[in-house]
Amino acid sequence: MLKIVFGDIENSIYHPPTYFDNQYEDEWITDPLSVAMIKEIDKSEVISAHLIESPVLGPISTKEISGGVKTLMLMAFDESGKIFNGSLCGDNCAKWIVEIAKRKDLTVNLHHVLDFSSAGEFDALMVNTGTMVHGYMEYLHEALRIKER
Amino acid sequence: MKGKYHIIVQNNRLRYEFDIKRNITVIKGDSATGKTTLYEMISLAARRGDSSGIDLQCEKKCRTLEEPDWKLILPTLRDYIIFLDEESRFVKTTDFAGMVKESDNYFVIITREDLPGLPYSAEEIYGIHTSGKYHDMKRVFNEFYHIYGCGEIAEKFRPDQIIVEDSNSGYDFFCNVCSEYGIVCKSAGGKSKIIDQLKESGAENALVIADGASIGPEMNELAQYMRAHPDVKCYLPESFEWIILKSGLIDGNEIQDILAHPQDFAESQDYFSWERFFTDVLIQYTKDTYLQYHKRRLNTVYLHERAKKEILRVCNKISFKKDE
Repeated sequence: MLKIVFGDIENSIYHPPTYFDNQYEDEWITDPLSVAMIKEIDKSEVISAHLIESPVLGPISTKEISGGVKTLMLMAFDESGKIFNGSLCGDNCAKWIVEIAKRKDLTVNLHHVLDFSSAGEFDALMVNTGTMVHGYMEYLHEALRIKER
Repeated sequence: MKGKYHIIVQNNRLRYEFDIKRNITVIKGDSATGKTTLYEMISLAARRGDSSGIDLQCEKKCRTLEEPDWKLILPTLRDYIIFLDEESRFVKTTDFAGMVKESDNYFVIITREDLPGLPYSAEEIYGIHTSGKYHDMKRVFNEFYHIYGCGEIAEKFRPDQIIVEDSNSGYDFFCNVCSEYGIVCKSAGGKSKIIDQLKESGAENALVIADGASIGPEMNELAQYMRAHPDVKCYLPESFEWIILKSGLIDGNEIQDILAHPQDFAESQDYFSWERFFTDVLIQYTKDTYLQYHKRRLNTVYLHERAKKEILRVCNKISFKKDE
């Protein structure tokens, strides 16, 4: 289940890429979900837990993957109970947030209205108002009512 | 600081090339387009110079700014182009906005968040895209693209309702024109209330007219709203004062020169946004003439037939007549 909360909240990590660099586990990188996200978003191949092949940068370390994918991996695998700032994710990450929320209960903190229009069908609880939304149009309507950013 | 600056940042694999011409530029867009890499290259080049192996070419000095000591460092900087990354949470604070307002520097801010304290232009919100290999066939060439276009309506449009961002002279003008052609005209009472006004009036076939020079912080939400409501369009000239200057009503080659390259005239320390700059230019060039301009209330001279026609000629994508 996906829960979306706008604005400053406790227990939120504002810059997930920094947190990721210091907390990630090797097995996260080679998980099929990460491999797929890195392939689609970063256009890169996971060679091993310590090596990624980027078409632009050549062989790079895990710490050089995009901030968006790092944030998604934290959402998928971190078990500390922290809530991660989804505003570090580009619109091309939205469908993966929805995908992760199909696999686990996921709360995402947003500081802008992330564009979920390409994320397919989804349901989400808008925590600020307690409203359930079904799909992008309802999400947008509700997000624009919420003033917290 | 004023002027337009061409920046090239490159190493053995990547080349970024772009122009910066206003006090505030925002970079956003999809993940994995190279925003953080650009920031890190500039940071390294600024700290290590030639020994970084990064070639940074710009007429002005470029550097980055970070927590925790930005408040101490920023007041000491003059004539820099300063890059900020999305980990810099302070870019949303009123303290930062206050310092930018009085700053003799340009700022390039990497963030997807809307920054309501900073009046940046819709035109200066960029994404980065790869446009292939540089001519040496080794480096990947990255350049900026406008995320929200240039604020012009794509094709001629006859609205049933016009929502004007503010309640000053621009509103007076469009209200007058709309009443003549049976179009409803409302003021949003500020750029942050445009969407509320659209929702409240259940606006169908509506046109939003707002100052492109400072509407940047509202653009993400406005663009998504318009995509969800295709019968709502927006026209984003720099400002109403820019429309008047552009109309040619006020004589003078100097004005046309200013409009051709405002970046060479608008000093960042004096003008937080170009909207205020164009207002000052209009006030200055009409002072003590029959066209004397007042921001708060429209001089009725601008509603005389000839003046109105000249001003509307600039907004030529808006059809006011029903069968036009």
